[in-house]
Order: sequence, then structure tokens, then C-alpha cells
Amino acid sequence: MELSEALSAKKKDIVGLWIDRTLDSYSSPGFFKKSTDPFANPVGSIISQGLTILYEHLLANAEQQEFVEPLDQVVRIRAVQDFAPSQAMAPFLELKWVIRQIFSASKETRHLLGELDKLDCRIDAMALAAFDNYLVCREQLFRNRIRELKSGRAILTDSACPSAIMRHNNDQSA
Amino acid sequence: MAVVKVDKLARSVAEGPTLMTGSIPKRDWMDTPVVFKPGNYAYPTKPEVLKYLDSQKGVSFPNAREWNPEQDDWKLPENWKDIILQGLADRLDRFRSLKIFMDCCVRCGACSDKCHFFLGTGDPKNMPVLRAELLRSVYRQDFTRAGKILGKLAGGREMTVGVLKEWFMYAYQCTECRRCSVFCPYGIDTAEITMMLRELLHLVGVGINWAMEPVSNSNRTGNHMGLTPQAFKGNVEFLCEDIENLTGVKVNPTFNRKGAEVLFVTPSADVFAEPGIFTCMGYLLLFEAIGLDYTWSTYASEGGNFGLFTSNEMMKKLNGKIYAEANRLKSRWILGGECGHMWRVLHQYMDTMNGPTDFMEIPRSPITGTVFENARSTKMVHISEFTADLIKNGKITLDKSRNAHVKATFHDSCNPSRAMGLLEEPRYILDHVVDNWVEMPANTIREQTFCCGSGTALNTDEIMELRMRSGFPRANAVKYVHDKHGVNTLGCVCAIDRATLTTLMDYWVPAVQVAGLSELVGNALVIEGEQRQDLTEGLRTMV
Repeated sequence: MELSEALSAKKKDIVGLWIDRTLDSYSSPGFFKKSTDPFANPVGSIISQGLTILYEHLLANAEQQEFVEPLDQVVRIRAVQDFAPSQAMAPFLELKWVIRQIFSASKETRHLLGELDKLDCRIDAMALAAFDNYLVCREQLFRNRIRELKSGRAILTDSACPSAIMRHNNDQSA
Repeated sequence: MAVVKVDKLARSVAEGPTLMTGSIPKRDWMDTPVVFKPGNYAYPTKPEVLKYLDSQKGVSFPNAREWNPEQDDWKLPENWKDIILQGLADRLDRFRSLKIFMDCCVRCGACSDKCHFFLGTGDPKNMPVLRAELLRSVYRQDFTRAGKILGKLAGGREMTVGVLKEWFMYAYQCTECRRCSVFCPYGIDTAEITMMLRELLHLVGVGINWAMEPVSNSNRTGNHMGLTPQAFKGNVEFLCEDIENLTGVKVNPTFNRKGAEVLFVTPSADVFAEPGIFTCMGYLLLFEAIGLDYTWSTYASEGGNFGLFTSNEMMKKLNGKIYAEANRLKSRWILGGECGHMWRVLHQYMDTMNGPTDFMEIPRSPITGTVFENARSTKMVHISEFTADLIKNGKITLDKSRNAHVKATFHDSCNPSRAMGLLEEPRYILDHVVDNWVEMPANTIREQTFCCGSGTALNTDEIMELRMRSGFPRANAVKYVHDKHGVNTLGCVCAIDRATLTTLMDYWVPAVQVAGLSELVGNALVIEGEQRQDLTEGLRTMV
């Protein structure tokens, strides 16, 4: 079996394990894995969908540009969840491990383990693009913070109450 | 942040990067202590704010101090455990609902996957059933016979500092939106459990500043901002100038005018912060168009009531100003602006806390003659009810083409939809002010609406990540109608929504703006004698 043929033939197993491992990074992943309703289970279904598209793009040797949207789908979620940056990014590199796991489990594909260098490179490129995307998301968060502060809403708690200042001044002068 | 060790790196080929970075959790929830770090908690109340509130009549906020959630020692009072257990005993005695909620849950799990915090985090303690279990386990241990004898075997848990810290973490990862209670076969209202957790925490001086400072300001000057009457009036007049520039219509609101038929109360955010100010301009234009005899109060200058997120007593005290001002100004009835939690307080609590009143009349629209029987007891009508009635009776002229720039969807705010059943009026208004608008998917609207993720005083910037992940289920549904139908405007009837959904959209669906319904009404409203400029973005147009 050729490499590209094997990647297609084993797509279901590879993507399945990849999604499984990614969703295992949540404390209670059962529901994320089970529910397929994209509105009842947005995290589980959007991540599953994103990873599936990314795998298809890798198989099809798609242009870098085509990775942007599905990467953003996944990264935008993980960039605001309770993960260290390395943990948020880990799933993309994990695909290399997942493919090796699946390939080594079957006689037909075991011989391909030595031919994964080029694919590894493409996965690395995808992971690096994910890192760029991660920073875009984080920077946007900080911009939003600043925008909220500038919008005047911060005044809600961080400004002194005029009547309190007046009373304070009166107390001081008394 | 995880530190990647070299030996772990070497193992990574065998184990995969997810394990290498430690991101697959391996411990049971009960054995997972909470960790406070920047971004996952809101700042504690400033001691001076708490001291001031504790000095006020009718409320108690003891144990003011400097403390830091990230440090081990929270400087709790020595007898903190007795205080908490006594506080729980008092509440079990006073609130029958709490006692029932503690006893009747059968852990069926219907609520577990309905919470936007759980859906955004995957953290089991954000499942409503488990969030309640944080309190219920202590209840079992100390207040049930089985728990007293069997302890952990009966699901009991000793009250420890660790448990208290868990309470603080998760009582402030619940927006009291009550989506979970829609699905509970027993009708357990987890929002009330969160309220109790927050009350208990206040007994030992543990609370958040973003709730308590607005409470303190409201207690002093009537509004969250601590605006003086002059500043409040000045802000509204500033909006009147903008209206005149945009539309050529001169609006002349009055303040504290005795004998005005209607007292108008709205969240103070409407008069000072974008995009609320556009909603406020909508109210002002509407009242001018129909010649309503109304006045603003510069003391009942805040519809919002963060007391709801603090304690029963505080909520009652802050709410008191509304009837007091209606009485002072001799108003016949009260009209309320667009706000979410404000309406939960007005609709569900005001009448029993500070009413019933005998000095007002059953609200009757002076324009259409409609009597609002639903407000017979509270004497307070929602602006959407009032506006929908005007439209139904053909009393205002609306030109939808003035909202040609808008392709809308409607976000049901948690409290108006689930706490007062305001589902049809906003939709009826939308039908008449925009050419086309679409609904989001059925399991994300009406009674099942998803929260903005920032209610109950969680709309502060230090927990931005938390807000973005808890708001994701809502944003995801907006993104769907944006991608499918080109929706560019998210309509709503809530001040916290207007502020926080704006930030949420910036992150998840940047092409969508957030607008109050009254803003869209103001855009479309045709007023006699107007000299409206070409307003390509309605009242937001820069001229």
C-alpha cells in the first residue's frame, strides 16, 4: 500500500483517534465526544469538524491558505480555554503520533512508518500556522480588554464616586 | 504554564504531545483542588467598599480585608466554619426552596450539559448538578442524618477551606441564567443555589469588586456609576443634542418632575456607554414622537440591581428607590427600559419585597388606551410591551428602509425570556422595524436561549478568557446565522448584553454588531417635522 493510499484508507481511524485524544484534554470529555448537535455541543462538534477538514487538506496537499479557516475554528476555542499555550497547541503535533499509532497497528501499513518525513514536515507547517493563529486570538483578547476599558465601562468600578469624594473632603476638613 | 522537561520530550514520541504537556486530566473531580490564577477569577471586593456597605442599615457585609485568591491564606475569620454552617442553617430555615433543592435532586443529569460554562470549558464542576453538589455535599454532611453517620458514603463532605475556595470559584462561574432549570424535571433552580453560595461567602468577607462597587455606588447615588443628579442629567441632555443633530428633532426630557404621568427607569449604562446610548436615543425619540407625559428620576437612575447577585437584603434595599421615587413624584405608573436582570427583580421580587403599592394606578397607555393587566400589581411595564402595543394600534409610523443596513437576529436575554416570558413582543417589534431578520437555531433561543456568559457581575475585563469561553455557545449560534444568512446585527433587550455581546462578537463573529431593540425602533421612526440627515447607519451615523 502506498502512503497516500494508506492515509485515505485509514482516514476514519486516524481522524477518530485524533479527535478522541484532543477532546481527552478536557476534564469531562464524554459529552463533547457524544453529542453531534453543533448548537448543543459547540466545542466538541466544531473541534471535530475542524480536525477532519485539516486532515482532508493534508491528504489533498492543499495550499497553506486553505488551512487558515479550519485552524482558526479549533485554535480560537482553545486560545480562551484553561490551557497553557503548549497544551492548546499540542493536538496539531499530536497528529504525527496518531498516524504512527494507527500505522504500526496494522501489517499493511507498518512498512510505511519510515516514509513519513514529508508528511511530518507538512504537519509541522500546520502546527506553526496554528501558533500564528493562536497569537492572533490572544492579541485580540488583549485589544478587547483595552477597548472595554476605553469604552468607559471601567468607570463602573474604578472611578471614585463624586459624592463619596465630597464626603471624604468634608471629613478631612472637619 | 506547563514546563516541558527533556525526559518528557524524549518520551513524547511514545506518548504523544497531549500527554507530554499534561493536558489530559487524570484525577477525579472531588480530588481536583481549584487553582486561582490570573484570568480565572474576578478581583475581590475592596475593603473600603465592604466597610461602607457594612455600615448601612438593613444589610451586613462583615470581615472586610485585603486578600488575594492566589495566596493560600485568604485571611478568613477564625471561626469561619461556624459562620458558614450557621449561615447555611439560617437559610435552610428561611428558604423552603433551598431545603427542597438540597433534598430532591436525583442526579438524573438532565441539566449537566445545558450550562454554557460547562459547554465552554468541559469542566465537570460547571455542570449545574455538580455545582450544586459543592453545597449539597456540605448540607448532607452536617444537616442530614445519613450524612452525619455515613459521611462520604452518603455523599457528604466536610466543610474545609478547599471547599470554600471551590465555592468561590464556581459561584462566580454561574451567571444565574437558569437555562439548566428549564430542563430539570424537578424544577430545581440552580441560580438560587448560586445565590445562596454567594450569600454564604459574603458572611466571611469573600466577594467580587465588580459586583460590590456598583452596589455601593447604587446605595449612595442611585446608580452603578455613582453619578450625581447633575452628571446624570447632563449625560441625557448630551444625547438630546446628538438626536437634534441627527434628526432635527428637539427632545426635551424632564427630570424629577412631580405629577408626570409616567416614571421612566432604565439601566444607567443606557445614558453613558456605547452601544447603550443609541438605545437610549431610541427611547427619547419614541417618547417625543408620541408626546408621552413622563419624567426621569435622578435617584431611581438605575434599573439594574446588582443586589440580585449579592444578597436578598441588598437587592431589596436597592430596589426600594423605584417605588419611593414613584411615590415622591406622584407618578401613575412606571415604564422600564431594556435590561435583563433588572426585569427579573422587577417582575419576580419587587412586588413582594417592596410592594404592593397603593399610590399608583394599573398601567394604561395614554396613547392607545391599552390597560396592562399583567402589571396590575407591580405597576411597571416593559418598554417592549409598550412599544409593541403602539405598533399594533398604529400609533407610530415606521420606515423599515431606514434600517436597510441591518440584517438582524434576536438574542433572547436570559431574564426577560426565562423569568418573565417576554418572547413575542420583541419579535413583533422586529417584524415592524427591519425588512428581514432570522432566528437562530431553536435550541439556542426563547426559553432555551444561551447566556451572553457575562451576567451576574461577571462582565469585568480581568476574566476575559472565561467570558469568551462561556459565551461561546451563544456566539456559535450567531456565527451560524451570520455565515448562512449574512446577519450583521444581534438585537437584544438587555444592557449587560449590549456591552458584553459586543466584546463577544468582536472575538467570535467580528462582522456582527449589537443593538438594543429601541435603537432599531429609533432608526425607523418617522416623526412629524423631522429633518433627518441621510443616516446610513441609523442613530450610529457619524455626522
